[in-house]
Amino acid sequence: MIATAIKLIGRWYSIPLLLLVWQVAVDSGLVQSRLLPSPSQVWSVLVTELANGRLVYHAAVTLCRALIGFTLAVLVGIPFAAAMARSALWRNLFEPIFFLGYPVPKIALFPVFTYIFGIGSPSKIAFTFIECLYPIVVTCFFGFRGIQTRLVWTAANFGASRAVILGRVILPAALPNIFAGLRLALPVAIIVVVITEMIGDSIGLGYYITIWSTRFSFANVYAAIFVIGVCGFLLDQTLLLVRRHVIYWQREVP
Amino acid sequence: MNIKPALILNWTVPVIALVLWEVYGRLDLLPRYLSAPTLIVAGLWELAVSGELWPALAASIYRVAAGFMAGTAAGIVAGLGAGLVPGVRNFFDPLVSFLFSIPKIAFLPVFLLLFGLGHASKIGIIAFSVFFPVFIASRHAVLSTNPILLWAARNMGTPPRTIFFRVTIPAVAPQLFAGIRIGLAHAFVVLFAAELIGSKAGLANLISYGEEWVRFDLMFAGIVCFAVLGFVSDRILMAIRRRVLRGHLIGTEEQVVQ
Repeated sequence: MIATAIKLIGRWYSIPLLLLVWQVAVDSGLVQSRLLPSPSQVWSVLVTELANGRLVYHAAVTLCRALIGFTLAVLVGIPFAAAMARSALWRNLFEPIFFLGYPVPKIALFPVFTYIFGIGSPSKIAFTFIECLYPIVVTCFFGFRGIQTRLVWTAANFGASRAVILGRVILPAALPNIFAGLRLALPVAIIVVVITEMIGDSIGLGYYITIWSTRFSFANVYAAIFVIGVCGFLLDQTLLLVRRHVIYWQREVP
Repeated sequence: MNIKPALILNWTVPVIALVLWEVYGRLDLLPRYLSAPTLIVAGLWELAVSGELWPALAASIYRVAAGFMAGTAAGIVAGLGAGLVPGVRNFFDPLVSFLFSIPKIAFLPVFLLLFGLGHASKIGIIAFSVFFPVFIASRHAVLSTNPILLWAARNMGTPPRTIFFRVTIPAVAPQLFAGIRIGLAHAFVVLFAAELIGSKAGLANLISYGEEWVRFDLMFAGIVCFAVLGFVSDRILMAIRRRVLRGHLIGTEEQVVQ
């Protein structure tokens, strides 16, 4: 009992310790609380803003955009990667676009997206879609390519049709890599939505951060950062939960 | 001369897209903000000749290089420390697992306040966001080092210093480069956003000036420069990686995205 408590403290002491140092530094006047609000100030702002629903509203906007863009990228990206992996024609047509385009910073194209789709949600969703599509297609492509051929041959030998092979052999074998790609793309979705909201919008957590930092109310900024962190953490845990149910035969790497 | 059909197919989509863009752009069938490829090249030339391009390019390169190097160095040192020493690991793990899911750009207002509008705030935020993927990769790599290698070295009486430099470092290098590459991609995203939101110099500003002056060819010229800069730095990193890891890559199918 005491041993587990000590172990728990040993593992998690750093966050409370830093919060304590931060609080003491602000309370003792070492740091101006105007520039760096203390954790207790941030906490009280967080509670009021959650209670009056403002942070909830902006967080909902950001999450909706991120999830719509991410889902579209998943729905398009996985079949696209499968087609690229299984057909030489598709591979030759689209491989350079994805593999040479992968390291290109696509964020620079965002101004063009705002011209095409307007300043509101559509441009953010479209841009999130593009940014998520690349990691999903690239990792899923390797997943579909890396299947042991003897699995496919065995299934074909037993007279399985192409559809059965795709659904019962290729897809399950590629699932670990597919989930690796999704786990790469999900934080990208949130990052991209917040960045594009900071660049130009009137709703969303990115906007909330920009507007409150121009008003020099940094307690609100930290509260919003905290909410983003919680959202990202919950999304990642949800994805891991889904993964555990879908790929029940393989433990995830910690 | 024999050209492989695969090579023709490789170029089909980009070339068709460029030609359609050019033709439709020249015929004014596209909205004006899409410009046309030849106009963009002309815009790039104009920027290069008038000398507007070079200070912007230099500012961006300086920021991304300094921030990337600082973040990578800090990430490697902290990550190796966390992998080797349980105390360091316990200090960093909760912090990193909480901060990792936050887009680091959200801290930009804080960095702008602390370091001002100049180079320092951009370098700071870039280093801050590069730190995390590098830290996670190196921490994970140290912990997943094959223990047989360490046992063998210890059995032969190797001093800890030699084990660190001759066993641990070579064993973690491949994963380290994977983390550094993700960090480099983050660096460019953060660079763009940071320059756009709070800066007076840099490629992102060139792009937004192009927008303001309704010179869409100049806007695209800036975008092309930014994209090429990101692409070339990734290629340089991959070349370094191939040189450093030449022992590791023998006999393996190079599966990493090139």
